[in-house]
Amino acid sequence: MGVVCVFACPVPEGKSGQQVVDGLQKQVEMMGATKSGNFLVDCETYQSNPQNVTQTPQQCVVNILHNSEHPASCFSVTESGQILVSDLLFEDLMSKLTMAKAGRESFYSQRKGFKIESRGQRYEVGDFIIKIGSVSLASNFRGILIEVEYCPCVILNECWNMMKELLQSMVGNSAETPPPVLKHKPDTVYTPSDTILQYLDHFNNFRKAVSAPPPSR
Amino acid sequence: MADNRLDTQIEKLTQAIKLTQKLRASVTKVFTDLSDGFQAPKGDEKALLNKLQKSLTAVNDNLGDLEKLAPNIHSTTNIPPLLLNSVGLLGLDPATDKSGITTQLHHTHKWTNKVHKLGDYTAQFLGTNQLKRTNQGPAGQAKRLRRPEPTIHRIPENINIQQLVASVDRAYADMSVSLIRPMGNSTVLQITLAKTLKAVIVLRGLLIEYVSIKAYSEDFLTDDGRPDIWSKSKYQVFNKVTDLVTAGTIHFYHPQLPDASLKSFLIWLNNYKTLFSAPCSKCGKYLQGFLPPIWRDTRSSQPLHDGCRQ
Repeated sequence: MGVVCVFACPVPEGKSGQQVVDGLQKQVEMMGATKSGNFLVDCETYQSNPQNVTQTPQQCVVNILHNSEHPASCFSVTESGQILVSDLLFEDLMSKLTMAKAGRESFYSQRKGFKIESRGQRYEVGDFIIKIGSVSLASNFRGILIEVEYCPCVILNECWNMMKELLQSMVGNSAETPPPVLKHKPDTVYTPSDTILQYLDHFNNFRKAVSAPPPSR
Repeated sequence: MADNRLDTQIEKLTQAIKLTQKLRASVTKVFTDLSDGFQAPKGDEKALLNKLQKSLTAVNDNLGDLEKLAPNIHSTTNIPPLLLNSVGLLGLDPATDKSGITTQLHHTHKWTNKVHKLGDYTAQFLGTNQLKRTNQGPAGQAKRLRRPEPTIHRIPENINIQQLVASVDRAYADMSVSLIRPMGNSTVLQITLAKTLKAVIVLRGLLIEYVSIKAYSEDFLTDDGRPDIWSKSKYQVFNKVTDLVTAGTIHFYHPQLPDASLKSFLIWLNNYKTLFSAPCSKCGKYLQGFLPPIWRDTRSSQPLHDGCRQ
């Protein structure tokens, strides 16, 4: 487990998402990377039903994320950024909470059409792991996310310059500064939760962009 | 069949032991007689000589018997005396004995010892005969001659390794050095350098014998929690660093000043705390072949890529 940086790759006008993904994959293979399977990061959103929660009148939102890099874990993130890492059994608890019972509404309900995921090819080169994922929101293509992991290091600030060199060859100038989610902890030991927070941040951006016209396919 | 052979073997061994005891007894008799003096009337020297000759012949006969028997007994181990403590016992295990690994191990051990010893002597001689035009005079010579003998792997009495390690540990805040003695005499240094790497150094006396470097997130344990210093790191970069640091131990090796050699090696190792954060001092880049600058110059401590070293 090393330091992970996730960046969005812009899709230029007149090009389809698949073309850009193919171009990136070719580029990574040219660098000497070898394929090492597929990956998937998915996110589902649940919201509380206000009539069952009397203390807080406003709706609470919980995002449940999975990462194929940590297949036995389930990450739950609240709106304020609080993160809970648990076993996959947490899913069962969540499904209980979403069941309506005895005429009462359930505590939580799943938001329809909010399931978002990033899925694609995983590559390994040297001590780096590169993942090129295409993001789809309710099975509509939304954009491209590139994840680069440097495994031997655990401090972001130490290896950021190295990662920047690698990332800038792929995503250009958007990798000028470290991901904004990680700004508050540049010198502490990196954890898998930080990866999830980065993905959630990107997923939220993609969801916000839904109102804007989707990129051409 | 095999039992039969074993029986005869054991019989021969017992016989040999008995003969050895007999020989010992006769030799002891000769020496006690000689030291205590013979009880014989004066002037009867001939009888005395006869007596001595008789006991000497007995010794000779016994020795002859034993020598006759000796070729029939096969040695259980073809290692000369058990010089290597517990390693020597390896040779008694018939399974490993067949592969001949113990003998090879023993030879290698002796060979390295010899190389170290010769290296030490060479260094000593070269040290006293520096190719300088100006003669340093007898004062300098005498001073140099007073240096301790080559130590190889013996710690000189005036050096306390615990104090040495503690002084390095105190001097560098981001480098924690701890000393453990897992099997009594051998010394292992465990080093954690900032949040960058972990290292294990095995010492024989003050001589660095083995270095292993792993990531901060890795540990020197097997899956079931037993200590394991021999396994390699999962990461390419640390395997390369281990190779280069092992080469560095040879650079810092100094037979006459083993403590300074260890200390300067540890100070040099401290430079690796910027393994991921420092750019190459030659090409100014961070990555080369997906590896950071993994070499630290032994003089200037500048970070360099493996390919930029020339």
